[in-house]
Amino acid sequence: MSIQEELQAVIKEALPDVSCVIGWREGPEPLRAAPLFVRTPADADAFRSGYFAVNNPAVFLPEYKGGKVGVVVKGCDARSVGQLLAEGLIRREEVKVIGFPCNGVIDVDKVAVALAGACDPGEIQAAREEGDELVLTTPSGEIRLRKTAVTADKCGRCLFPNALDADVFVGDTLEPAVSADDYADVAAFEALSLEKRMDFWEQEMSRCVRCYACRNACPMCVCREHCVALSRDPRWLTQSDGVRDKMFFQIIHASHLAGRCTGCGECQRACPARIPVLLLKRALSRRVEDLFAYRAGVDVAGPPPLLSFALEEPKIKERDW
Amino acid sequence: MSDAASSFVAPPRPRFEAGTANPYLPMPATVIEVIRETHNIKTFRLVLQDEKAMREFHFEPGQVGQLSMFGVGEATFVINSPPTRKEYLQFSVMKAGEATAALHTLAPGDVVGLRAPLGNFFPYERMKGKDILFIGGGIGMAPLRTLFLFMLDNRNDYGKISLLYGARSPQDMAYSYELPEWTDRKDIDCVLTIDREAEGWGYRVGLIPDVLLGMAPAPDNSVAVTCGPPIMIKFTLQALEKLKFSSNQIFTTLERRMKCGVGICGRCNIGGKYVCVDGPVFSLAELKELPDEL
Amino acid sequence: MSEQKIVSRKFISLGYLPAWLEELALGRTVYVPRQEGRTVLYRPFVPGDLPEFSRRPAESAKHVLFPRSEGLFSFCRKGDPGAPDTRGLLLSESAEPGQAVIFGALSCDARGFFAFDPVYDGCGTKGIAKDVYYLKRRENTALIVKACKTPLSTCFCHWTGGGPASAQGADALATDLDGGILLQAVTKKGAALLESAKLSPATDDQEASARAAHEAAVKAMPSSPSLDGAPEALLGLFDNKAFWHAQSAGCLSCGACTYLCPTCYCFNLTDESNGIAGTRLRTWDTCMSALFTMEASGHNPRRDKAARLKNRVGHKFSYYPRIHDGRFSCCGCGRCIRSCPSSVDIRQIVLNALKENADV
Repeated sequence: MSIQEELQAVIKEALPDVSCVIGWREGPEPLRAAPLFVRTPADADAFRSGYFAVNNPAVFLPEYKGGKVGVVVKGCDARSVGQLLAEGLIRREEVKVIGFPCNGVIDVDKVAVALAGACDPGEIQAAREEGDELVLTTPSGEIRLRKTAVTADKCGRCLFPNALDADVFVGDTLEPAVSADDYADVAAFEALSLEKRMDFWEQEMSRCVRCYACRNACPMCVCREHCVALSRDPRWLTQSDGVRDKMFFQIIHASHLAGRCTGCGECQRACPARIPVLLLKRALSRRVEDLFAYRAGVDVAGPPPLLSFALEEPKIKERDW
Repeated sequence: MSDAASSFVAPPRPRFEAGTANPYLPMPATVIEVIRETHNIKTFRLVLQDEKAMREFHFEPGQVGQLSMFGVGEATFVINSPPTRKEYLQFSVMKAGEATAALHTLAPGDVVGLRAPLGNFFPYERMKGKDILFIGGGIGMAPLRTLFLFMLDNRNDYGKISLLYGARSPQDMAYSYELPEWTDRKDIDCVLTIDREAEGWGYRVGLIPDVLLGMAPAPDNSVAVTCGPPIMIKFTLQALEKLKFSSNQIFTTLERRMKCGVGICGRCNIGGKYVCVDGPVFSLAELKELPDEL
Repeated sequence: MSEQKIVSRKFISLGYLPAWLEELALGRTVYVPRQEGRTVLYRPFVPGDLPEFSRRPAESAKHVLFPRSEGLFSFCRKGDPGAPDTRGLLLSESAEPGQAVIFGALSCDARGFFAFDPVYDGCGTKGIAKDVYYLKRRENTALIVKACKTPLSTCFCHWTGGGPASAQGADALATDLDGGILLQAVTKKGAALLESAKLSPATDDQEASARAAHEAAVKAMPSSPSLDGAPEALLGLFDNKAFWHAQSAGCLSCGACTYLCPTCYCFNLTDESNGIAGTRLRTWDTCMSALFTMEASGHNPRRDKAARLKNRVGHKFSYYPRIHDGRFSCCGCGRCIRSCPSSVDIRQIVLNALKENADV
């Protein structure tokens, strides 16, 4: 049995105890799976795991609070579940976590780059994996791409390919490809001058349409309709759409996620303007790791460092200053 | 307002094509009087700064306006003075959100903006010759007041006029200063009620639907016009149906979050009907045709 | 090609395209599809840069006529020294918009404006107000659409009355031919743009090639299901909570679908002020947000995402067509599907509604 078939069986077994199991199905585009909500055993046949199952199903969990729900998670998704648990935003006994070893997922934007104008990624009619290659059917014939060229960056630095804290784990665990996240992307960006970095963000943020898909796709953005961006009274943010106004929101968003972001990258994937907003969050995650030796969604025993107060932080030696 | 002040104010000059009015541009208006009705309701009397515009301002009972607090925004209120009394335009505002809180800070002489009249109105022509029953609860008395006073000013056009007006307590009763005149009038039947017994209260005690059933108005050749909080409306409609009023004989006015007020911005729709242009006045028969999204 | 009458035709060889765009840009803003970051958007033409036609723009062109945020007027409150108990007010409307051309928009983008027009022209529901801001921009903007060759997997313009080479709502249609582009004007405004020495006369052969290309593009689209009865089916399902909960399960309540949509025209009005002066802004708003209908009292007629998704689909395929001669306020561009983080598929929802209604 393939991992996908095993997962389908596990989902069916879980159903009597839960209102639904959240996973993935084929989406309207060959390269993008869509969320699946399995309520009946027959629904489970549509379940798909694998390279195209990018969405993080943990984002839906707070909606189901108050009843038991099942969720199939990749390693990165499991960290979101862990962080939601650590912050008391969902209850452990109300979630059945089904894990499996993840070999990485696609980044559709990289496909667009790899196609180099050969066609619009939206024109792709079918896609399949063949070993290390991704085979795409396009109006002008088949195109083969190396999977390494189109796999999400987050997968290249993934330390937890196997869902942590799963109630059921299907398949054999995988060894992570790397032993540490070196934050090379953040380091390279921070090596630029302040002016260059500001220019970069002004350029990128100018594309923002303020749809707040970044916020709503984030499993840890739980303020929902109470978000500062929309609050009417008081009105914290302006409706005028200057680039600084847009940037202001993104900085608030990133700050609120410091020490909470698990790096799943859904904010960036959801952005219709393709603004690399994950970089902001990773810059803060790196600081939190350095200062508090804390990785969100992994070290779930205690409250996150910025949601708690310690009289003496082990790595902040203010008494010695 | 003084001549000095009016000469200081530059009337808006439409810069778009002549003859095409800008529907988003408010008319500047001056607050001439503020009445504190209850702990959370204030009434504002306004005159348009452009004297000609004020003279020519035409509206119908039940139509609404967008009041602007410049710097805060707009909110929708019914014009609750009747078109037969046009020395000022009157609005009553219950403090609920940001815009209403700002409106509550207004004092005589302050400037607001007004976009009006907007929406439809009570079909008072079709009500001629009929007995009219007004049933108002709390701030819901505001839209009724317009039609009620309009009918009093055209008293001969209508049959028996009755008003049932209720509030939680005597202190929650807006327009209390007008009530003695109404209760004293012989050509109208005015019943006032509060939810619970209170000292010094000389009128009825009881919930509006219950008092209504007690009054037992006859539905023949009658029209009922009602407005109030949702829960009161729900039970009042039930009571009216029990009294054999048909859904064509019952009118109410809806509230919905509005922005443009002219059927464009897209938020006040209930299915395909826009409360800002197809309403706010609906007969119960029309409401029953709408999808259930109140 | 649409049924519209062609009023003039020209041909431009690819080498002359930049020069023609530069010429158009004299005294006007010319918007073209441009690559920005990892996406393609409608942006002002920059001399020296060619429009990006290898990928379809992620956003619609609606922001050209309906800016994401625009000042409607500014206000200034002033105390009057002569009368201490009064306050004056100065209102000034924003300046008239300039001339613009959108070159290389998609047919679906043009048909998007087609959905705006009756609403903003006051034919809306009771014909009472003309949106002078939109109408002036509409008048001042010429739209040249470029015929599509192959559909994306999310395209369904032909379900909604359009087609890959429709010129509905546009002033001219551009079609790629060998070595250049055939330009066919369908309005006077479009014809005026074709009065340029950079363009050469077009031949009957070129027009025939274009027609063949249009026919091939239509043929390349999968067959379209009938949406007859969709308005009634959606209204019939209004109270079916289970149906809407199932359709909306994956919705994240963000505004990507509505903001990238060529036909979504809803907006918010807010004031921005600094002391005594400020501006009334009109800003895009989205019916997917819980705050859209939230009243000051806290009451919200569309509290859950199921009710909100129902409104979006209902508006496009039921309420709007019932007011506007049966036309859908959806142009089938598929951007809401492509840009949805959860791939919520409006096509499927409408088909599900038709099926559900047929089953009842």
